Amino acid sequence: MRFALLALLAKGPAHGYELKQALESRLGAAYPQLNIGQVYVTLTRLEKSGLIRGQDVEQAGRPNKRTYELTPAGHEAVAAWLEDASDEPRVRDEFFMKLALAGDTGLADPVGLINKQRRHYLNLMRAMSRLAGVDQPGNPFPRLLVEGAVLHLQADLDWLEKCQEELE
Amino acid sequence: MRAVLRWAQADLRTHRGQALTIVLASAGVTVALLMSVALLVAAAHPWQRLFTATHGAHVWMRVDPGADTAALRHLDTVTGIAGPFRTVTVTVQHGADKAAVGLRAAQSRPPSVGRPEIVSGGWLSTAGTVPAVSPGSGSTTGSGTAPLGPQAPVDIVLEQSVATALWASPGDVLTARDGDRTLQLRVAGVADTAEAHYSPGGSPGIGWAPSAFVGGLAARTHQSTLTVGLVTSDPGDTRYLVQQAVAAVGPDKVVSVSTWRDARADAEGDNHLLGLLTGIFGLGALLAAAVAATGGIGVRVRAHARDVSVLKAIGLTPLQVAGMFLIQHLLLAGAGVLAALAATEALGTRVPGPLGQALAVWRTLPSQSWALPLTALATLAVIGTGTALAGWRAARLPAIPVARTAVRGRRRLSGATRTALRLRVPPSLVLGWRAVANRPGRSAAAAARLMVPVLMISAALGTWATLDAFQHQPVRYGLAGQLTARAGADPGRVARQLAHAPGVAAARPEVELAALAPGQTETVTLRGVGTAAHPYPYAIVDGRAPTAPDEAVAGQGLFTALNVSVGQWIRLTVGSTPHILHLVGRCIETQNGGRVVSTGFDTLQDQDPTLRPSSYDLQLAPGTSPSAEQAALGAATGGTVEIHRVTDPAAGEFPPMRRVLVGLVMILALVVLAEMSTSIATVIRDHTHDLRAYRAVGLTPQQTVATMVTGNALLALAAAGVGTLLGVLVSRVLVDLEGAASGIGSGIARSPSPGVLLALVAATVALAAAACLLPALRAARTAARGVGEA
Amino acid sequence: MRRNGASGRDGQEAEPILLVADLVKTHRVDGSVVRAVRGVDLRVEPGEFVAVTGPSGAGKSTLLHLLGGLQRPDSGRIELDGRRVDQLGEARWAVLRRRRIGIVFQFFNLVSTLTVADNVELPGLLAGRSARQVRARREELLDELGLAGKEDSTPQDLSGGEQQRVALARALVNRPSLLLADEPTGSLDSKGTREVLGLLTRYHDQGQTIVLVTHDAGVASAADRVVSLFDGRVTDDVRFAEPPTLQGAAGAVVRLTG
Repeated sequence: MRFALLALLAKGPAHGYELKQALESRLGAAYPQLNIGQVYVTLTRLEKSGLIRGQDVEQAGRPNKRTYELTPAGHEAVAAWLEDASDEPRVRDEFFMKLALAGDTGLADPVGLINKQRRHYLNLMRAMSRLAGVDQPGNPFPRLLVEGAVLHLQADLDWLEKCQEELE
Repeated sequence: MRAVLRWAQADLRTHRGQALTIVLASAGVTVALLMSVALLVAAAHPWQRLFTATHGAHVWMRVDPGADTAALRHLDTVTGIAGPFRTVTVTVQHGADKAAVGLRAAQSRPPSVGRPEIVSGGWLSTAGTVPAVSPGSGSTTGSGTAPLGPQAPVDIVLEQSVATALWASPGDVLTARDGDRTLQLRVAGVADTAEAHYSPGGSPGIGWAPSAFVGGLAARTHQSTLTVGLVTSDPGDTRYLVQQAVAAVGPDKVVSVSTWRDARADAEGDNHLLGLLTGIFGLGALLAAAVAATGGIGVRVRAHARDVSVLKAIGLTPLQVAGMFLIQHLLLAGAGVLAALAATEALGTRVPGPLGQALAVWRTLPSQSWALPLTALATLAVIGTGTALAGWRAARLPAIPVARTAVRGRRRLSGATRTALRLRVPPSLVLGWRAVANRPGRSAAAAARLMVPVLMISAALGTWATLDAFQHQPVRYGLAGQLTARAGADPGRVARQLAHAPGVAAARPEVELAALAPGQTETVTLRGVGTAAHPYPYAIVDGRAPTAPDEAVAGQGLFTALNVSVGQWIRLTVGSTPHILHLVGRCIETQNGGRVVSTGFDTLQDQDPTLRPSSYDLQLAPGTSPSAEQAALGAATGGTVEIHRVTDPAAGEFPPMRRVLVGLVMILALVVLAEMSTSIATVIRDHTHDLRAYRAVGLTPQQTVATMVTGNALLALAAAGVGTLLGVLVSRVLVDLEGAASGIGSGIARSPSPGVLLALVAATVALAAAACLLPALRAARTAARGVGEA
Repeated sequence: MRRNGASGRDGQEAEPILLVADLVKTHRVDGSVVRAVRGVDLRVEPGEFVAVTGPSGAGKSTLLHLLGGLQRPDSGRIELDGRRVDQLGEARWAVLRRRRIGIVFQFFNLVSTLTVADNVELPGLLAGRSARQVRARREELLDELGLAGKEDSTPQDLSGGEQQRVALARALVNRPSLLLADEPTGSLDSKGTREVLGLLTRYHDQGQTIVLVTHDAGVASAADRVVSLFDGRVTDDVRFAEPPTLQGAAGAVVRLTG
């Protein structure tokens, strides 16, 4: 989440907790909440890399709050991040590996595997359907995230169907 | 059911145009049928036409002079009285021909009831009231004598059958004996009435003479009667009326009674040919209309297919679906039929021309009371059956509404089709054929529906050809001679005069005798015509012509009446002279219901040497016009020999029959059009699915249109081809059947020329193509715009 | 209140609305034989919302048509509300459909010549109820479905979603025991889909038994039980558990990096 935090800081200085809240708010309730500890660790690393600069702020009756801001190097890093096309692997899939090898092991029935996986996907899909209707004014990203998830699930289910056709 | 009603209401509201079309169509069909039935009936009843035109009387009575005829006026159901006319029977003579004629007293104008229809000449003029007096008398007493004066012939009018028997025409002067005096009677005119015709040996013929003359005659001879005619409002029940009339006048005063039925039976005799044929045609036209209606309704129901499926899915039972269509269409058709009935009743007789007259005639016939509702019911039954069938098919539709149906039975292009396309056969031809052949059931049904009216048109043409043959080739029908010359008192002289006439190919002596066959109550006609040297050219259909003496041929009617067959011998008695003849053949015989035995004149003369020919049958040289020859012969013989045209009895029926045929062909043409519009709608709808496929394949819009038109034209070709051929067969069978039944004899049927038949087929195909063109263009344009989905 | 089938609240086994045993249906198309449904068993309890999914050609639509009596099975039994119905004639099925079954189709299938009001009231009138009763019920339904004011429109004037809502009203006018839906969202855009699914869920919450056929997993997941049909046979039958929490569920599907 390094670049996410850097991008958020591009708007202006903020401290760790504010950043966590901003990101969660942008992505919506469907996305799991961020671990505040991890946020602080990432911020510390970013500061060590010189991409952000931190400053302590006095608080009455509380430990000091550290506010961060982007350095010029940090700006460049964000610009470069935004500009590069993201090209990581599209799908990360363990199930397919299982399916491909199940027959050899003789320890599991491929159709049974498919059915089980389908149930899992359907359950996820059900949850996505419940979330789909929620709309925040001015922020389409939570809904778009859910719709993206739905599309991916649909594709996974289609893939399962194809596998099942092949194996039947 | 409320639900069904709601849907039916909404459906009618949306398709108001279609509903109106159904009402109008059934009204049109009903009107056409009523008109054709009226024409048929009127044409088949020429006597009825005459009766209506002359305001005929239903009952004619001859009573003694003293009878009280005033009482007749007060009988209930009597709406009019003719007469009473004083009548005197005299034997009228014209040269060698004699006949008994009952002369009725008449005024200067014809009577209003039972009015004779003048056929030639005129009615009695006032000048002819001076009675003729023979030179011997001189008395001045009484109302019927005049002192002096040259004999002026009295004007009389003769009824047509009597005039023919006497060879009399207007201007001739006939004689009659009145005691020791000879009366001179000048024929002022010949008229037709709806009373029984004259036949020698039967009741006296009918004639009219000035009342003063008749009065004088009656006073002298003391042998007159009164002739009274009664018009009734209930023509069906004349027996009761006759009883009452006889009772009113006094049974001992009644000389004779005859009813309109006797007169009609006498006149009609052999009008079967006309009546039956046209009756069959009427039914056939109804059938053809039915077929077209079925198709139209079927299309409409099919257009509702989607809604029907939806309704079934909602819970309508199949019976409700079928019932709903049935009721809807019956109501609409019923409205049309009622409207047509009302219009015909109210306005029919006002239609100008033969149609209005036919309706007026029909109205007076008792058959109208059942024929009218029968026609209406028949139309409704036909439409109801068509709807029931269509509704039954709709009810069988699956309850699964399908959004866009791909046509079932889509097959890949067959090898033959692909080969044809590769060989550069025009693609529209190939694809058009394929579209038709892909749905054999539906195409066959559409072709069959088109075939029926075409078949009937072809049969009508066959009948027309038969009529033509009758008129233009009378020799083939046993009518060799076009003129006949009266032999008169000196047959030999007439024969010599005629023998030298240039236009005459042969003059054959002819005589017709009334003969009795054993076991028969009615007479048959024994005709002697031609000699061994100049035999008559009979139209033989069975056996052979007579070659030896004692051999004869006869018409079908005779064989049926005497229950004999070709090859048998029969014995006929004329007066006291027996004639034993060998029937060697059957010929076409148009007279006397075919009950005529024909043999050589010399054969008859062998048995009865006193026999003289009554006329000479003149066969003209080919190319000679009968009327020209008639005038020429009249001039050549100095007017001493009477020459008449031979009129074939059947020919009188031909003009009305031709009119009926024309009317029927017109109705059938309408039916063809209706059927075509139905099938075109179906063809277009089926092709709309394929339109985009055609465009994708690379057909230009013109080729697409050509495909649709070709498909329809191929259907029409099949239908017309089969229909025409079958129609010719049907007409031959029907005409021959009718010929045999009427006694004329089978073998009279003729087929239309191949040119005519080809023209019929070509016309049907051209019509199909033309009618399909516009809708096809429109469909192609809509598809091209991309708005082609149903 | 959602009833969960066999585990009835009062512990008694409620009688199933639909009981299907060994159903077989074969189509004959163009000379080739297609075995659409090959021995399907199914049991639907009152109040269940069942989705039948599978690839196209798996026999889903055929199964639904058999359940609704639109087609006749070749063999097997179907019991509706405890009464055996698979051998009924077309006329009896039509009567049954009026009162007990409501059907919604992919292509809406409204009668084009009738107004919205007439379309909805038609099954009610067929069932023999009085015109007044049916009108009241129609007004109630159109209100619930957000179609108030469209009584006199014809189907052509409405959008896809609106038409499907009218179809839904028509299916529900007689309070049927069973609501069958054949790809009800197949012809709708995402907004229409959401509307219709939301309505189905609402009626399900009120206790309506629904059997839905779809190839769209998103639509199927609106149900609480999914039956997978593959090649004419049932391969899986899963009842959904209540999701513990929706919070962060997308994270199980998508992991955002960066």
